[in-house]
Order: sequence, then C-alpha cells, then structure tokens
Amino acid sequence: MRPTRRTCIAAGAALALTAGLAACSDGGSTDDGGPVTLTMWHGLTGPDGPAFQEVVDAFNDGQDEVTIEAEALPWDSLYQQFLTAATSDDGPDLVAMSASRLPQYAERGVLAPTDDFYADDTYMDTSVLAEGAVQASVYDGVNYGVPLNLGPVLMYWNKAVFEEAGLDPEAPPTTWEEFEEMIPDLTVDEDGDGTPDQYPIAMGDHSTVPVFPSFLWNGGGGVVSDDGTTALLGDAATVETAEHWVNLVREEQITPVGMSGADSDQLFQAELAAITINGPWMTAGLTEAGLDFDVTVPMAGPEGQSILGDVVSMTVSQRLDENETDAAYQFFAYWESVESQATWANGSGFPAIRTDMPEDAVTNEWAAVFGAPEVLENVRPYLTGVPGSGEINEDIFTPALQSALNGTGEVADLFPAAGEEIQAILDGGS
Amino acid sequence: MRFGRTVAGRQARAAWMFLAPGLALLTLFTAWPLLRTAYLSFTEYSLLTPPEWVGLANYRELLGDDQVMNALQNTVIYAVVVTPVTIALALALAMALNAKFFGRGIVRTAVFVPFVVSLAVVSIAFRFLLDPNYGLVTHWLDMVGLAPTQGALAQPGTAMAAVMAVGVWKNVGFYMVMFLAGLQSIPRDLYEAAQLDGAGRLQKFRTVTLPLLSNQTMLVSILAAIASFQVFDQIKVMTNGGPAMSTETLVVMVNRVGINNLEFGYGSAVSVLLLLLILLLSMAQYFYFGRKQVRY
Repeated sequence: MRPTRRTCIAAGAALALTAGLAACSDGGSTDDGGPVTLTMWHGLTGPDGPAFQEVVDAFNDGQDEVTIEAEALPWDSLYQQFLTAATSDDGPDLVAMSASRLPQYAERGVLAPTDDFYADDTYMDTSVLAEGAVQASVYDGVNYGVPLNLGPVLMYWNKAVFEEAGLDPEAPPTTWEEFEEMIPDLTVDEDGDGTPDQYPIAMGDHSTVPVFPSFLWNGGGGVVSDDGTTALLGDAATVETAEHWVNLVREEQITPVGMSGADSDQLFQAELAAITINGPWMTAGLTEAGLDFDVTVPMAGPEGQSILGDVVSMTVSQRLDENETDAAYQFFAYWESVESQATWANGSGFPAIRTDMPEDAVTNEWAAVFGAPEVLENVRPYLTGVPGSGEINEDIFTPALQSALNGTGEVADLFPAAGEEIQAILDGGS
Repeated sequence: MRFGRTVAGRQARAAWMFLAPGLALLTLFTAWPLLRTAYLSFTEYSLLTPPEWVGLANYRELLGDDQVMNALQNTVIYAVVVTPVTIALALALAMALNAKFFGRGIVRTAVFVPFVVSLAVVSIAFRFLLDPNYGLVTHWLDMVGLAPTQGALAQPGTAMAAVMAVGVWKNVGFYMVMFLAGLQSIPRDLYEAAQLDGAGRLQKFRTVTLPLLSNQTMLVSILAAIASFQVFDQIKVMTNGGPAMSTETLVVMVNRVGINNLEFGYGSAVSVLLLLLILLLSMAQYFYFGRKQVRY
C-alpha cells in the first residue's frame, strides 16, 4: 500500500514528537558506562556565578566522560521549581542548596546520601575539607551533600564614615560595649526630626542572613540548640540578649526597622550606615561602588564570638544510578581540588573550602580575609540538620523579632511563646 | 435525551457543542482543582510523597491556629475597607467622568490604566515610592509631617494601610468603567421627568441613578469583594505578609504553608475556609441586591 499524504504527515508528526520527547528527557545520561551528562541547578546569580561556571567549564573541557550542564536560577525560584520538578522526576540531577534547606528534601527521600563520597579516598581525601562545611549537610546522621561554598558572615565598616565621626577609621568595634560607646558618634540626625539620616549599623530583620540569631549565640542563647532538639528562645540568656538588642534598636535607633537584606545592603552602600554584617558576596559590589571599607570578625558578645557561616551544599537526586552518581562524585572531587578552589576563591571572594590551600594559591584579598583560620575555626552554621528550619526561622522567629522591634510586643512575652511553637516543630508536631 | 430528531433536539446538540470547549476548560481548570483541593484538605500531603488521609485533623488544627485567625482577621479588614472604598470611589469617578468636559478621554484612560498594569509591577513600583530613604511618596508625606519614621511598609500599623491604598488605586478604574456603562444606559427622559417633578441633583441621584445602577452595583460589589478576599500579588511583593505577619491574608498564608513549608494538606484546608467565606459572602450579596433590583 502506498503511503497517503495524510499517513506521511502523521508519521512525520510522530517522529517529531518522539524526537521532541527525547530532547525533553534527562540530558544524555547513560547507564552503560558511557559519557554522562548531568544537569545542575544553582543560585549563584551574583558575581560568584562566573567563577563557578569557570570551574565547570574547566571540568567539562578536561575530560570527555562527564559533562555538567549548570543552570543558574534565583534562589527562591530554585527552591520553588525544584519542589515540583522533583515530584515529576524531571528535575535536575544535581542541586546546590543552602545546607539549612537540605533536611526538608532529605527527609522526604528526594536526595540521595553522599556518605560514599566521604567513605574512603576513592574520589579525594575529604579530611582536608573544612569540618563545619562538611557537617552542615548532615541530617539524621547521614551526609546528603558536598560543600560548594562556605560563606562566613563578617563585619564590614565604612572607614570614611568612621573618620567623619571623629573615630579611628582603622579601629572598628571589637566588642558590643565598644560598639555601644560609638553609637552617638555614628548616629547623624541632620534635620533634627528624631529620625537618623545616618545609622551606626544596617541590619535587616527579614529575607536576609540571620544576624540576630548570631547575636543571640554570642549573648549565651540561641534559637535552637546545636543538636536541633531544643528550642532556646524562652531561655533567660536568649531573652536578656534579645531585649538588649531590641532596646538598642527601639531606644537608640541603631538601625532602621523592617529592612530586608537587600534594603540593608543598599543602606550601607549608600553610606547611610557605618557598619553592616554580611557575607563575602558583598565585597565585589562595594569595591565597584568605590566605598572605603574593610572587613573584620564581628564584635564579640559577652559569651563568645561565634561567626555565622552559610554553607551551600551540592546535593544529588535520589533517582541517579550508580554510573551517574560516580560521575557526580568526580565533579565534586574536581570542585574541591586545589586548582578549582583557587579559581573559585580568586574569582568570587569566597574562602576556599580546603584547609590545606598553598599560601600563594589565593590572591583575592577578601577570600583571604574570609578564609582566615580564626574565622573558619569559629564558623557556626544556623539551623542546619533541622527539618523545619525554614518554618522556624521565617514563620516563627522572624515575626516574633519584628513584633519586638516594632514595639507591638515585648521580648519577654514574644520569645518564650515563639520558643514553644518551635519546640512543637522539633518534637514532630506542626 | 436523544438529540437531532427534533428541532429542539438539534438546537440542544448545537448548544452543547458550543458549550463543550468552555465546559471542558472549566472542568479542567476550576472544578477539578476545586475537588482536588477539597480532597487534599483531609490529607497530609508534602507533594513529594502520596497524600495520607487524616480526616478532620487539618480542620481541628486550623480552628486553634493563631496564624489562621490572624490571616482571617487581616483578610476581613482588607475586604471590609477596600471593597466599599473602591466601590464608592469608582461610582464617584464614574459620575464625574460621565459629564462632558475637555480632556475627558485622557482622564478616563489615566484612571483605567493602573488596572491594565501587572499587579507585581505596580507593587514593585510602590515599594520604591514608599521607601523610607528615597521614596517619592515618603518625601511628600514628610513635607506635611505625615511620613512614618521607618517607612510605611516596615511598620505593622501602616503596612496594611499602604497595601490597601495600592489595592484601591489599582482596581478603581475597572469598576469605574462598569459604572460608566451603567450610567450611559439610563434613559435621559427619566432625569427630565424627575426634574419636572422638582427633584434636585441629590434626589435624582437617589431616586433614579442609584436604583437603575443596582445591577452594576451588585456585580461590582461581588467582584470587588471576591477580589479583596483573594488579594495576593501586591501583598506578596510589597510585604510578603510582614512585618510580623501584620499583612498576611489567607491566600498569602496558603502560599506560605504550601510552597514554603510543604504542608499542602493544611494549606488546602485554609483554602477551603476561604472558599466557604467567599461563597457565603457572594450568596448574601446576591440575595441582598436581588431584592433591591429596580426596573422602570
């Protein structure tokens, strides 16, 4: 039978559909030991993005067995899209995510354990990696990730503003007491309307790096205990520390209330605040803006000087087969190599994750500051290994803090009540 | 029923054929999600694993949840303020712009344009306008001594007022156009008759305009109330429910509970609560305005 015109069109359409579907399926992954292509999502959309891609390109060009196709998305979009992608089994093979987010997915079986990567020296000697960064991706005794970056949150100060205030531009506050003595000098109310035109410090209270929780640590308290089992918001030390800082905000107006992280960055960049506490990702923008600034460890509290450290981990989808997992581990090992870590640190300003970097490998001054031994030794991740971390921080802690800062409630009432809600989550309720 | 044998049958078949695409879309995008949400509200569901039936547990939790009560209160406050203000302003604008004056078309367009612009874009623009450091609106308020010290969106006392004002500004043009259409359909001779009877402007408005706009008023009231109860975009972009959850409405809460916390079962229960609220309100409005409908 001769094919009719209609049959030809139908066959062509079917062929096109098949080809289309093939193109939609996961990369070029194979399970026969051949070349493997892995898709990877990450949220490095700032100046750190090109540095990451440079390492990925070097890895892809250096061998022909594994190809990493990295795709950058804003962090919030990444988390929202990954959720639906994971349910349809059509998502990325590898995902970079904040270590504090990881338990949410690990708990539900979306991610595969990466313990094999650390088991022996098959891929690399993992003992050279910063311990805090490795431990950040442990949930329920199982490691679900390999650190992509470690971002210690340090104190930035504007030297020009310090000088204008009659303070030594090379002597930022080293303790809370020193900071409090500087408050009158660093506060400027030009029009005398009672609202400062320049603030001593810029601190966001939502959608930002959790600076307030790090203050609670250094005052002897915290949001949740290190083992993730006990809420600490109702503890006397936490309440006392929170009251201290809330009073500084409400009475002394050390920072505007209600700022997001982006608002806080803008305030510091516009030289309307003398100090801010932030990660290494901010150095490039401030340098470009021509600010006369420097970075040091945050001022110490009466009970210590823990430094908040944000860790982004590279995680593996549970659906990867043995061959693909092996390919992923090859990339992870390459990422953690001295050469790649030097490229990353010099390009992004983030410190290297390896503790054995040769002295001359890192030439970026900010990477050296953020990767200094006294910084890395005191780095403490926030809410890692806690399944309800997002809910605890954003739905309970942040509103309680905002109510206190806005004066719609008192710390002594708000924090213990919030602590009870957090405890219910930690105990497995909701 | 057997179609096609009689004229009525053929007409019915034609009617169903024309209705079919619309019905299919309604079923797919409205009825099915509605039923699915109702089912999920009785389950614990994280999207990543199959739903687990928990009966009325979500509803029991919902009744004792302070966050739900807070979101419900915020939703009601928003709706109770924004709906009547929008309707009153839309009617006033429609009356004013129904009169003939130079540049009427431009003014009508200016009032209507905000409705066409994406709510997300409007919300981002207003975030800048209300910024405490460089916002234009803050600057104006500052000139008359009314600027909130930390910016309108940063304080619980003023954040809700700010999002409500944006909500009214955004939607008033759309309802104004509906009222304008209604005003233009009122026969002029009724006004002339009223004038002959000695009615003043206020009396004409009360006895002719308002009664004959009852259809439009009903439609606008129901649409505006539903839109107020479903407010999401502007709050999500302008405040994300904050500060201290002072602007979190039920829809914003559904988004937070479902997308952020992966509690789709509980989020669905909150959605069903909202659905019932809107249903009750719409029915009440329908019967209220139905009784008041006037035709001359």
